[in-house]
Amino acid sequence: MSLIDFSKSEITFKIVYYGPAMSGKTTNLSWIFRAIPEKVKGQFTSIATETERTLFFDFLPVELGTVKGFKIRLSLYTVPGQELYKLTRKSVLKSVDGIVFVADSNRDRRKDNINNLVDMFKNLEEYGLPDTPIIYQLNKRDVPAIIPVEELVDDLRLKGKAVYLGIASSGVSVMECLKGITHEVVSKI
Amino acid sequence: MEGQLSSLVITKEDIETIDDLFSQYLVDSQAKDIILLNKSGELLAKSGAVTRESAVAVSALAAGVFSATNELAKLLGEREFTLTFHQGKETNIHISLVDPLILLAVIFDNKAPIGAIRFWAKKISGSIKPVLEKMAAEPRQEPSQDLRKGLLDEIDNLF
Repeated sequence: MSLIDFSKSEITFKIVYYGPAMSGKTTNLSWIFRAIPEKVKGQFTSIATETERTLFFDFLPVELGTVKGFKIRLSLYTVPGQELYKLTRKSVLKSVDGIVFVADSNRDRRKDNINNLVDMFKNLEEYGLPDTPIIYQLNKRDVPAIIPVEELVDDLRLKGKAVYLGIASSGVSVMECLKGITHEVVSKI
Repeated sequence: MEGQLSSLVITKEDIETIDDLFSQYLVDSQAKDIILLNKSGELLAKSGAVTRESAVAVSALAAGVFSATNELAKLLGEREFTLTFHQGKETNIHISLVDPLILLAVIFDNKAPIGAIRFWAKKISGSIKPVLEKMAAEPRQEPSQDLRKGLLDEIDNLF
């Protein structure tokens, strides 16, 4: 649910990075945190376990700039990808405006991508948000045992949808995905 | 299925009314801070000692905690839990549901007994409720076509 605050002339959108465990959701947010200027980013909050795996979510507020007198803010979240945290994942999706689905291109993660995508749509349906804008980042395009793009697109039924090929650890397509989803959510207000 | 609005629109008048109420309650209750947030985790209004930057993060976390607690409620056969309370050595935070989309977080130091915290949280919540109901009932100023078009045209320049 976007927040339009006329008192401060601000519009805020909630964007969630969703996807299976270790697909690179936190890596996307960390890259954004490093890439954007100090004065436009807020506190990066990460709730991780002792082994640095996301336990609850990561949160990064970003101020994009001013358009027509309105400050555009994004609240960026990630979900924990592990199967164990299914319900936590659902709770972070509450009132989402847009989703970046981060799929893992590793051959052995094929099933996890599919299961996680099914889980996401189920949660959106339960929240009454089936029309939430989603873009897809096929991440880790630099791994040796890689799933070809066509096969991933087929697996996740992404034909005709917004798909980005990414290597989040080196920033490939990270900002493009953020820009893509911002465009989608703005079109919906 | 839980339905929701596509946008929450807040006017200058709404915020002024809420700020006035919060300022008064801050003095009366001796709370450290009073924060109003929505279930998405966005900060709507605040009054007190916590910095705005921290209040933004507190809002995201409070909404997350609240939402996770409600999954817990469902597992236990409850529709939802309407409040959560965290007690520390120096600081306590009380998070409660004001209306289906809005939460109130009240932060106290350790001098306030739990009964007083619950009393004030309930009282502030009761005072803010009519303001939120008025907000929901009044026709809201929607973003103009001009703004929407401007946003779409200028997104590229923002990155």
